[in-house]
Amino acid sequence: MGRKSGPEGLRFGILPKMIVSFLVVSIIPLIILGYVASKNLEKVGFEAVHSAESMGQGSLQAAEQLGAMAIKDSVQALDEKSTEAIELRTVELAQRIADFLVERDKDILHLASVRPNPSWYLQIYESARRDVIVPASPRRQEDPGPPKEPQVDWGNPDNKTSWRHNPPYSFNRVSRPLYREITFVDLAGQEQIKVADGQISSDLKNIRETANTHCKAEEYFPRLGDLKEGEVYVSRVVGAYVEGWLTKTEEGIQVTTESAYAGKENPLGRRFEGIIRWATPVFSEDGRKLGYVTAALDHTHVMEFTDHVVPTEERFAEHSDGGTGNYAFLWDDQDQCISHARDFFICGYDPETGQPVPGWLSQETYDAYQASGLPLGELVANRPPFEDFRIEKNGSREQMAAGRIPLDCRVLDMAPQCEGWHRGTEDGGSGSFLIFWSGLWKLTTYAAVPYYTGIYGASRRGFGYVTIGANVDDFHKAANITKAYIEKGISDQSLNIQEAIDKAKQSIEANARRNRGMMLAITLIAAVLIIGVSIAISYTITLPLRHLTDVALAMSQGHLDQNIRVSSRDETGRLAIAFNQMASAVAEVDRMKSEFVTTASHELRTPIHSMLLGVSGVLSGYAGPVSDEVRQDLLVVEEGIERLRRLVDNLLDLSRMESRKTELSLTDVSVEEIIDTALTEMTDLIASHGHQVRKAIGSQIPVLKGDHDRLVQVLVNLLSNSIKYTPDQGRIVVSAEQRNGRVVLAVADNGYGIPEWAQQRVFERFFQADQIMAQKVGGSGLGLTISKWIVEQHGGIITCESPLPELKYPDFPVGGERRGTVFFVELPLNRGT
Amino acid sequence: MTMQKILVVDDEKSISSYLQRKLSNLGYTVYTAEDGEKALELAFSHFPHLVLLDVKLPRLDGYEVCRRLKADERTRKTPVLMLSARAQQAEIQRGLEAGADRYLCKPMSFPDILKQIQSFENRESAGEDTGRDFRFD
Repeated sequence: MGRKSGPEGLRFGILPKMIVSFLVVSIIPLIILGYVASKNLEKVGFEAVHSAESMGQGSLQAAEQLGAMAIKDSVQALDEKSTEAIELRTVELAQRIADFLVERDKDILHLASVRPNPSWYLQIYESARRDVIVPASPRRQEDPGPPKEPQVDWGNPDNKTSWRHNPPYSFNRVSRPLYREITFVDLAGQEQIKVADGQISSDLKNIRETANTHCKAEEYFPRLGDLKEGEVYVSRVVGAYVEGWLTKTEEGIQVTTESAYAGKENPLGRRFEGIIRWATPVFSEDGRKLGYVTAALDHTHVMEFTDHVVPTEERFAEHSDGGTGNYAFLWDDQDQCISHARDFFICGYDPETGQPVPGWLSQETYDAYQASGLPLGELVANRPPFEDFRIEKNGSREQMAAGRIPLDCRVLDMAPQCEGWHRGTEDGGSGSFLIFWSGLWKLTTYAAVPYYTGIYGASRRGFGYVTIGANVDDFHKAANITKAYIEKGISDQSLNIQEAIDKAKQSIEANARRNRGMMLAITLIAAVLIIGVSIAISYTITLPLRHLTDVALAMSQGHLDQNIRVSSRDETGRLAIAFNQMASAVAEVDRMKSEFVTTASHELRTPIHSMLLGVSGVLSGYAGPVSDEVRQDLLVVEEGIERLRRLVDNLLDLSRMESRKTELSLTDVSVEEIIDTALTEMTDLIASHGHQVRKAIGSQIPVLKGDHDRLVQVLVNLLSNSIKYTPDQGRIVVSAEQRNGRVVLAVADNGYGIPEWAQQRVFERFFQADQIMAQKVGGSGLGLTISKWIVEQHGGIITCESPLPELKYPDFPVGGERRGTVFFVELPLNRGT
Repeated sequence: MTMQKILVVDDEKSISSYLQRKLSNLGYTVYTAEDGEKALELAFSHFPHLVLLDVKLPRLDGYEVCRRLKADERTRKTPVLMLSARAQQAEIQRGLEAGADRYLCKPMSFPDILKQIQSFENRESAGEDTGRDFRFD
């Protein structure tokens, strides 16, 4: 039965189709919708954040610009104010120095107004004093300082606005004689009176000899001769040069401890000790020139003017700080340094030789000097002033190493500011400029000291000039603090904005994530629901369909009395109703057909019976003697009746077969017995064709469960075919053997054979042998069809093979038209019914 | 012992009359009936030794006739040979259940029918004690 196609044969059922289509029509749009919505939300959010961000950035930039502008403005204002203040301070300082020097002119004239007298000179010496700031102890630098005085507040609230108050400076001051010595020198240059170190000295020398002068460097005697009464001679600063060394360390340029005093940088160093000598002739009452009175001003008092000036909020300091660049210094009329935070920068003399220590040169100039072979002093003395001053130059290492680096502006060719000061003070004026010095932008101010006595009257520059250096950044400090505040504010604000934006972004992203999660959850739930609904719906369809399929299958297998319970009123219900109607119609048709077949076969058999009765009676002699001629004729009739009978039988069988009614009556069947029965039945026919028939029964063939008569019918059919389709005097063998739990019956002949293409088709109903062979042999064309059905009803199979396998049937003469055929009937030993 | 009286029941007049003729020639007393009621009437009036019974009969079918014959004490042992054009298993079964001694299928040759009748004759003559049940005229 090859028509089986149950539900298990389904490839792609309604359920998966429905799930897929439901998912496609609902989940995909849902996903797209969700995706688009979430993307849009995210986009809108991010756009908002972006605009907020750019707004924030914009306002930040505006604030930054505003701040920068404010700072720039304030820096400029501060610069101008500070510059002005420092310039003013410089000018006033110069004026104070000039005033101080003028006072010394008065001192010397006063000294000259009296008759030379040691005790008088001593009295003057003792009375002419001035305080100098002297640190009480170098350790004081590390002390926390004097206890803070109570803050002085505004008192009257009307004065509250911008009340500023600074407590007085509490530096340690020591009174010190103004003069190092006061002398009276006669007209020959011999000292007649000398007051020094607080006493009248008896160490009187002739000062015409330079070697007897301070530092062996004074040459004032020749100048005195030209002085008229009331005229005053003033020397330049004369002092022993104090050496000093600058070294480069990781913290910058530092002053070594062996060096000269250098303010905070080296507070314990040796100080520069110089003098400025005043002299004027002394006349007797009668107008006779008696000699000259001289007074050597302790240069410390001049240096005091500049040594404590700090051009910052600090204003004054015990020790100036050369390292910061914020300090005042002093130059004489020949542009030589006479006061500096670092004493080793002050020009002085070698006390051994009385020669001036040559000024510091640039490395370039120093190298040129070395090449020239001239003594350094001579070179420096003869070098044109201010030649090729450039800031790119560096100071000579050799002079630095020697510790002899006095600043002589005329030759200090790596310091162009010198030239600036020189030019600025040429007309006795003052001013300032900025210069990038030692890695700092420095404001440098200058002011000529308006003191024009003696040699100092030679130029408008007078005594020389004061300069103040100020680190620009220091007086920018306030502005810088403001700037830092603004920058910090902006950066904080920027951080805040960024933080807020980041937070917003995070929250948007979190939202988006949450949305996506919800989307996913909704989609999943929807998918589950849809699948559930699909299953439910498809079951309402497929369940009845499956039932219908089962019922249809049962019907196709002959169980026509089927009725489906109709439980729904939908399409499947209607289908079931239609099916039931069809089933009952089919059952009715089947019943009618059965009835018809039964009736027809009965109606056909009755006349056949009549004919057979009559003919057989005559042939058997019950109607009297029969002539041979009549017998022959009647035998033809009998054969026709026999064929008719078979045809009716076969038709009936076919009808049963088609209505799939199994009507086996199973009993124990002996294989040999059914073969014998079949052979017996065919004896006459075999004999009439002259065939040789052999039987080959294997040993121990067990008993079969089967329908005896039907199995005989099969064998009869096969034998009948062999007999009919084998030329006369053929050979036929009926065999039986046991193989693999089955009984195999074979009917072989050496007949016409069946071509390969027809070997399956011979089992089709009404397949006529004349379709494959020329020989016309009568047959209903139903025998093999019915045999196949019977065998299959027993759970067996029937096959045929042609031509005959010669090896198996060696004694079968084949060849020519005798190709031979063998039919195999395999029957199971134990049929499970 | 030979069977003398045979009841042939067949609605086909040609068949019953043919068998009556041939069997009479062979020495049997043959009664014929064309319907069931007539068959029973004849059976209970003549008590044949053997009944050749068609199934498809007017008025009363062969099964019923057979059942009644087998139900009656007088005819219970009378062999009933059903001879029918109905050759389906179910019909054969039904016939045997109705009490038929043998179920024969039409068409059948006369010599074969005769053999069947004679086989019962031989069984009778084999000496079974059936004397009480057979009536001999």
